[in-house]
Amino acid sequence: FLQELPSYRSIARRRTTILSRDKQSGTLLKPTDSYSSQLEGGITENFNSQSIRKYALNISEKRRLRNIQETQMKYLSEWDQWKRYSSKSWKRFIGKAREMTTHLELWREDIRSIEGKFGTGIQSYFSFLRFLVLLNLVIFLIIFMLVLLPVLLTKYNITNSTFVLIPEHNQCDLMPLTLFQGFLEETCLFYGHYTIDGVKFHNFTYDLPLAYLLSTIAYLALSLLWIVKRSVEGFKINLIRSEEHFQSYCNKIFAGWDFCITNRSMADLKHSSLRYELRADLEEERIRQKIAERTSEETIRIYSLRLFLNCIVLAVLAACFYAIYRATIFSQEHMKKEIDKMVFGENLLILYLPSIVITLANFITPMIFAKIIHYEDYSPGFEIRLTILRCVFMRLATICVLVFTLGSKITSCDNYSCELCGYNQKLYPCWETQVGQEMYKLMIFDLIIILAVTLFVDFPRKLLVTYCSSWKLIQCWGQQEFAIPDNVLGIVYGQTICWIGAFFSPLLPAIATLKFIIIFYVKEMSLLYTCRPSPRQFRASNSNFFFLLVLLIGLCLAIIPLTISMARIPSSKACGPFTNFNTTWEVVPKTVSTFPSSLQSLVYGVTSEAFAVPFFMIICLIMFYFIALAGAHKRVVVQLREQLSLESRDKRYLIQKLTEAQKDVKNRVDGR
Amino acid sequence: MGQCLRHQMHWEDLEEYQALTFLTRNEILCIHDTFLKLCPPGKYYKEATLTTDQVSSLPALRVNPFRDRICKVFSHNNMFSFEDVLGMASVFSEQACPSLKIEYAFRIYDFNENGFIDEEDLQRIVFRLLNSDDVSEDLLADLTSHVLSESDLDNDNMLSFSEFEHAMAKSPDFMNSFRIHFWGF
Repeated sequence: FLQELPSYRSIARRRTTILSRDKQSGTLLKPTDSYSSQLEGGITENFNSQSIRKYALNISEKRRLRNIQETQMKYLSEWDQWKRYSSKSWKRFIGKAREMTTHLELWREDIRSIEGKFGTGIQSYFSFLRFLVLLNLVIFLIIFMLVLLPVLLTKYNITNSTFVLIPEHNQCDLMPLTLFQGFLEETCLFYGHYTIDGVKFHNFTYDLPLAYLLSTIAYLALSLLWIVKRSVEGFKINLIRSEEHFQSYCNKIFAGWDFCITNRSMADLKHSSLRYELRADLEEERIRQKIAERTSEETIRIYSLRLFLNCIVLAVLAACFYAIYRATIFSQEHMKKEIDKMVFGENLLILYLPSIVITLANFITPMIFAKIIHYEDYSPGFEIRLTILRCVFMRLATICVLVFTLGSKITSCDNYSCELCGYNQKLYPCWETQVGQEMYKLMIFDLIIILAVTLFVDFPRKLLVTYCSSWKLIQCWGQQEFAIPDNVLGIVYGQTICWIGAFFSPLLPAIATLKFIIIFYVKEMSLLYTCRPSPRQFRASNSNFFFLLVLLIGLCLAIIPLTISMARIPSSKACGPFTNFNTTWEVVPKTVSTFPSSLQSLVYGVTSEAFAVPFFMIICLIMFYFIALAGAHKRVVVQLREQLSLESRDKRYLIQKLTEAQKDVKNRVDGR
Repeated sequence: MGQCLRHQMHWEDLEEYQALTFLTRNEILCIHDTFLKLCPPGKYYKEATLTTDQVSSLPALRVNPFRDRICKVFSHNNMFSFEDVLGMASVFSEQACPSLKIEYAFRIYDFNENGFIDEEDLQRIVFRLLNSDDVSEDLLADLTSHVLSESDLDNDNMLSFSEFEHAMAKSPDFMNSFRIHFWGF
């Protein structure tokens, strides 16, 4: 009965055509099997041949459609024919260009095969790694074009340039540069090398300090925009849903099976992970209901327990931060001693002490957090998310602590006076270079640790499991699982170091690119040869959003030390391109003051309070408008849903009445 | 995918298939290659047909829990011509538009082919997904009721096409999971 309803039939008709999202085409096409006579008459002129592919028909029917379309074209005017022909060829050209560019995609085959063997969760990790490689490459290109290229041009005497003059009336007691140890400090790896003030071209002078500052701002802005663009997809989906995102049963059941799985063992694993996931979801629902039914006594007890445990967490974090602080201070103080008096190993230990302490802290704290969260009695999904959030905070905050320790040392002036130069010029004649050195050391140490863990922990573990599987202990321990959150935190940590360090050490993004390329291959080999897939799998959509969110947190945490060092701490007077300025940021006001006066007054007007306050208020008003609009839409959606269910009840009631009436008529006819 | 040979297919046919499906040139040639390997030797590829068993045994579909439904939806009289296989690959290709995928997903999931996805269909879908012997009735009923409560907008205990379409448009994993890359051996 239901299949004769008008609503069902119109949907059925629509199903064998396409709901063409094309704004040009007007009417919908009737299906060929039952309405073929209307076919020829029903086609409008503005038909786009690309939309034939979207029709849910088989190929022979589409061919008929195309032939009809082409005969129709003869009846069009010359202008329309030419328009359609050119749009068709343009679309074909775009299609071919897109096909070409997909071939250029880096590591396409590798990632495809990982997807087929291990699922889309792990594949999204490797896509994320590829994205970071590209991001670092682009950052390096920006820095190269803006900063390194003029330096190279000057070095090979292609252009003339003026070097930074140390003004005579500067009373900072400058230490001669020969006191610097190490050969790397003199190279273009670090900030101190860039002493060019202006590069003279034919018509204008290229201001290198300004370019240096602008390249920093440019790469930070570019990273922010690119990450936000990539995360907009996941975020849009979040906004549409009113219930718990990504946990929806519809999503898990209808889109649960990865159709690109070809491997029997992978398929079994997918089945078991689906079983686990669906059961866990139902379990979580039950726990949530239990939580809602808690008595007030229990609630108070739970909350006070949670408060206590959170204090413990904070204490652990504080202890780690203090350890890093002391390690950094120790390392900085002892670095200044005569290095040739120390043993080589001890020297290296002192140099890398902060990195070692950070790595140890990052290794121990996740285990502590995992133990603590057991007692806090959250639902399983929330437990996982909170643990990950704590680990993220721990990892990224350690870098901040390191940088702030360095900053405090640079501006601390116990015995020496800092009034002349604004910073501790006796210990840190060229502090930017030394911060850059610390970042460089962190990055190299991170790479070494990743390689060491893979070589000395993963592979032996796999060998032990394969050859000594009779030992009970080995059996319990089992093969390595590819832990996505830890790996993602590792690479976000590396990227944050790169962002902070790129200002102090312009070649750092290039090193980061190489580092991530090495990590890609190492992790791929480790995955293929030593890991077994875990039964608890991340969903791809969930993962993408999580990765980009963590990366965004890293970027925000990286911007803070950079802005402080650019705007507050005076730049070194002994090295670098900013010796003529008080702080790095001062380049911008000095450049603005060289603009023509109308432009100057415009810039001053835009940055003054008279403009900023009304602008801020207007932005707030616009935001409130959109929030109100979203709220209104949500209410309308709820009302429409209620209306739909009412309509369906009406429909069933009417059908019931109709069948009764039909039965009545039939009985009366039979009875007569 | 790079080892596929350009074997007996005319250039005009290739162009036509490219215009009528979402497949790229390489993908069409790959499928052509696979088709020739499976069909009886000596026959022209446009006239040969494959059985559903042969298509079900392709690596792309071998472990898929819905392979019988996929073969049923895309075949004519339980036989696959070359163009049927191309049509199937086009729907599952990466470039296919969402509406086409949703359309065919609805047909695949509609086990009893009454035009709606009702409770019986849902239970069979869940059963195939879990693929285990000790699935309790409660679990099935629970999951079915959750799915219906989320996507059944007019409360008639089944999903019509527009409700299904609405649910899949909101689902973030659908486009990623409803894809098959490689149809060869």
